[in-house]
Amino acid sequence: MSKAKKVIEEALENQNPELDLADKGVVSFEEMPGLIDMHNITRITLSHNKIQKVPPGIANLTQLEMLNLFNNHIEELPVSLSSMPKLRILNVGMNRLDSLPRGFGAFAVLEVLDLTYNNLSETSLPGNFFMLETLRALYLGDNDFETIPPEIGQLKNLQILVLRENDLIDIPKEIGYLPRLRELHIQANRLTVLPPELG
Amino acid sequence: MPGVTMSFSNMSCSRCGDGFDPHDKIVNSQGELWHPQCFVCSQCFRPFPDGLFYEFEGRKYCEHDFQVLFAPCCGKCGEFVIGRVIKAMSASWHPACFCCAVCNKELADRGFVRNRNRALCHECNAADKAVLSGRHICFKCHGVIDDKPLRFRGEVYHGYHFNCTACGVELNSDARELKHRSGYTANEMNELYCLRCHDKMGIPICGACRRPIEERVVTALGKHWHVEHFVCAKCEKPFLGHRHYERKGLAYCETHYHQLFGNLCFVCNQVIGGDVFTALNKAWCVHHFACSFCDQKMTQKTKFYECDLKPACKKCYEKFPSEFRRRLRKAYDNTPKKSTSA
Repeated sequence: MSKAKKVIEEALENQNPELDLADKGVVSFEEMPGLIDMHNITRITLSHNKIQKVPPGIANLTQLEMLNLFNNHIEELPVSLSSMPKLRILNVGMNRLDSLPRGFGAFAVLEVLDLTYNNLSETSLPGNFFMLETLRALYLGDNDFETIPPEIGQLKNLQILVLRENDLIDIPKEIGYLPRLRELHIQANRLTVLPPELG
Repeated sequence: MPGVTMSFSNMSCSRCGDGFDPHDKIVNSQGELWHPQCFVCSQCFRPFPDGLFYEFEGRKYCEHDFQVLFAPCCGKCGEFVIGRVIKAMSASWHPACFCCAVCNKELADRGFVRNRNRALCHECNAADKAVLSGRHICFKCHGVIDDKPLRFRGEVYHGYHFNCTACGVELNSDARELKHRSGYTANEMNELYCLRCHDKMGIPICGACRRPIEERVVTALGKHWHVEHFVCAKCEKPFLGHRHYERKGLAYCETHYHQLFGNLCFVCNQVIGGDVFTALNKAWCVHHFACSFCDQKMTQKTKFYECDLKPACKKCYEKFPSEFRRRLRKAYDNTPKKSTSA
């Protein structure tokens, strides 16, 4: 039995709502058939595996609050992901994403979104991306953004914004109007000026 | 002179007693006759200048000698006192020179009182006595204040000299001086109010309904409130004696204070109730503090790295691509070091 299956079995037995599957050599969700049926699960950690595809069925896990897919080989995310009603923390950093699915901004309660170290740019963002009004931390470091759309001003709850290591030439003044912003990381870009609104 | 027949033969000089020759000049003064050489000053034996003489005990003197011999010297200016002499205090005085030792008013027609070897007018004497007896002197009328003085702007007065600034009633010693509020430091700006008006002004006004507070007062946030009007700024429920929490001039109940201002956990986004773990400009519930990349729980003893101000456990850090680690290391070396706290 694979390492992953063992962990899942144990979790089912103990009725543990949290699933620790980090660095278990998982290549595909198909290795974990029971996973999609665990309707009580609140956290799944699959960091440091080799997953390439995320099945749309993942949206069945209606109780899921935290999904950690950091450091895998994921190239695209299913549209159904944004329909998960309780998902608050989504970490898809260090993957191979070059776009985000349609309707990605539809998450109901997403608070922390980690997209660090992918191949995303401003064109990768779907039209409704900035409707994520519940977002309080957005990690876009190590990507290929050359600009940030001014719609970023709609993220009224944003406290943390990481734009480190992109290709930004300027940043929109709307960032200066974000009422809750406490952390702004803009290192390693191509900025020559900053908007006065940041003051 | 009626009834006296003057005949030349029986006239005689009042001084020497001799008769008069027919050719002699005769000085006639007040019915008496003298030889001119006999009508002289009894002291210097010279005729009287301008015919002016002074008489004393049957003798006549010229002005100068009379003054030298008999006129008193003024106790104040040292000059002879001619005319009205004031004799007092074992000395003589010109009327204009005999003055109250305190207020310098002329005492001649006022009367005086001897007070510790000074001549004082009656008022100053009374004042002097009053000071000694402990009673106050009114600053306005200078009379003795028999009962309690009204203190006002640093002086004492009879209360009845003033009227209430608000209602105009005549005041007594119970009246209150209202010190002006901040902005006016000088005493001169103070006003007097009768006790009633003053107490009416002391009534606090509720910060919520702006009406006077007659019963129990709540004092908070630098204002006064009706008990039922002192409410949480968020849920508007009255505190009714329960604890309130203040922030930026507003009061909140415990729930809403923590909701609005409490430390929120980075993972669960709730107000941290128990112990707080602070690091990297964030806070965690102690039991939620975990690696941001593999969700492995950590304690304050766990060694962790920092990436974008998120904690990374050693295992995850070592799984980062080497070039990424290199860049992180470089950035870390370049930033000023700050200590984290739990």
